[in-house]
Amino acid sequence: MSGPVPLLEAVDLSKHYRVGSWLGGRVTVRALDGVSLAVWPGETLGLVGESGCGKSTLARCVLRLTEVTAGQVRFDGIDITRTSQRALRPLRRQMQIVFQDPSASLNPRRRAGDLIAEPLRVHGRRSPADIRVRLVELMHLVGLHPDHLGRFPHEFSGGQRQRIGIARALALSPRLIIADEPVSALDVSIQAQIINLFMDLQERLGLTYMFISHDLRVVRQVSTRMAVMYRGAIVELGSTEAIFRAPAHPYTAALMASVPEAEAEARLPEQLPAGDGRGEMPEATGCRFQPRCPMARDRCRDEAPPLRDLGAGRVVACHFPLTEGEAHDAARPAC
Amino acid sequence: MEVRDLAIAFRTEAGLVRVVDNVSFSVAEREIVGIVGESGSGKTLSLLAVIGLIQDPNAVITGSLRYKGRELIGLAPRRLHRIRGREIAMIFQDPMTALTPVYTIGWHIVEQIRAHADISRRAARRRAIELLGEVGLPDPARQADRYPHQLSGGQRQRALIAIALSCNPSLLIADEPTTALDVTVQVQILRLLERLRRDFGSAVVLITHDMGVVAELADRVMVMYAGRIVECGTREDVFRQPGHPYTWGLMRSIPPLHGAKPRRLAAIPGSPPSPAERPAGCPFRPRCIFRHAPCLDQPALYARGGQEIACFLIPEGSDPEHATPAVDAA
Repeated sequence: MSGPVPLLEAVDLSKHYRVGSWLGGRVTVRALDGVSLAVWPGETLGLVGESGCGKSTLARCVLRLTEVTAGQVRFDGIDITRTSQRALRPLRRQMQIVFQDPSASLNPRRRAGDLIAEPLRVHGRRSPADIRVRLVELMHLVGLHPDHLGRFPHEFSGGQRQRIGIARALALSPRLIIADEPVSALDVSIQAQIINLFMDLQERLGLTYMFISHDLRVVRQVSTRMAVMYRGAIVELGSTEAIFRAPAHPYTAALMASVPEAEAEARLPEQLPAGDGRGEMPEATGCRFQPRCPMARDRCRDEAPPLRDLGAGRVVACHFPLTEGEAHDAARPAC
Repeated sequence: MEVRDLAIAFRTEAGLVRVVDNVSFSVAEREIVGIVGESGSGKTLSLLAVIGLIQDPNAVITGSLRYKGRELIGLAPRRLHRIRGREIAMIFQDPMTALTPVYTIGWHIVEQIRAHADISRRAARRRAIELLGEVGLPDPARQADRYPHQLSGGQRQRALIAIALSCNPSLLIADEPTTALDVTVQVQILRLLERLRRDFGSAVVLITHDMGVVAELADRVMVMYAGRIVECGTREDVFRQPGHPYTWGLMRSIPPLHGAKPRRLAAIPGSPPSPAERPAGCPFRPRCIFRHAPCLDQPALYARGGQEIACFLIPEGSDPEHATPAVDAA
């Protein structure tokens, strides 16, 4: 499926926030620190990481919902990092976002039909009859009954509300959809329905997804390639299948070992040393995962590991990437 | 603890709405019982009733709740208060809302200890610091003087567990204790809960929507749907041979972590009914792929080995697994 040009490309993207510290001084928070990735037409790039790792900031930056500090965002080969909002408008139609909590992202005082039609009214000069036809089409597409266009968001269940969120994102026939934790707020049985819907829509409409989730199971199900983020940087990127078979970064391995198994034989997974990747101030030098890494050596403290190529489109930011055989042991801290 | 025929209903303008119905279960000493269900299945409400925290005047609670042989329903609030906190403690999903932001972590624990035991403030503080250490917070003396917002989510949940443990409860009710946490932190908290049983001998009731969490921790599993228990049994039995179509569907809805990736997930169609619009008969009937004529009546819990399953397929001897041999229940 890979075309010659990625549909979306982030090149060395950084987003820093200056925040006032309660001690007086000002602190720079590196929400994103030199992130590069490409999303190819027709694929799903999964983006995993824990809260605060910068996944959502990345989504906002590539959509130009926030201005980046440094680096470049290219859509279909066009640099949109510093394009004026006006020049951006035609491109905006081609990239849409689906949010986590549909009850928070849908205006409760407007009917489903209005909510879904809003992008059509903002972006196009369509006749009301045209819009009506498109609305019915969209409702069918996301598996809702067109009779329910007149309902308010609270009259739908959580899963149905997310379907409205998706219909709204699809209204302008975008090429790229950025889905930011779109199933995290849903019950398990509903979650599966929405995951299936995303996959069906991709097949029918040839969509490209950047799919953000903290849930490794979900990412494995939907994505062809995945990127793992830790504290504002990508620590591993490559084919989903290859990464699941043998994670190369100790953090990826730990993350995978932490997912509870839904099988009877399950045992409690090994745990990482205490801490959750936030709070601690970043080391001035060295690997960002080093304070929690069970395999850290001296070099990890002194020298930040660059992203290195493992072949077959796989990159990892680790001095001592795990090879096939060690992948399992590495999840178990020595201490 | 033993719960018999617990039913909770609310008086509303539209009449009496039954939210929890016919719930019976027991928790033995040192046992970890997992209660699984989707939002609105009545899992939290049932346990709130157990500790007497349903104070809505429109709530009608019937049935029997015996704790160490003593009936809790109808007990005077003052006597219930003495049991709650000291004997039965509860921790909630969101540790931020359970803590008062204007007081330190240490204050919360000291307050709890002194509410139930007659000891000096200084001794209580010593105990508080000890507890914070036991739940795995580094530098507990310093943590005791910090405010809730200065702790991370995982640390707050640990602090909350320390509060719950302060009176050595013999039963700990944990309502989605790890749902708001990252996976690597979740593991730490689950570990801690398991250690509680080992070191303190507490029984734990774990309420969760996450089958994985239950599979890791619980000795016995109860699955709730639309206010009723639809299946219960040992963890091994329920996970290896789920008997109720709902349990079975729930497991197949979870994307697999290993092995072949299904092209589509076997989602359960539709969504859980709200308490006011639950169908007559089997509440799962509208979403069930195995529904047939008898399902218009409410099935009782039928025994199959050590399992109990509320489904008419069980007495007929054909559980879903046999009905569709091609699918892998994992």
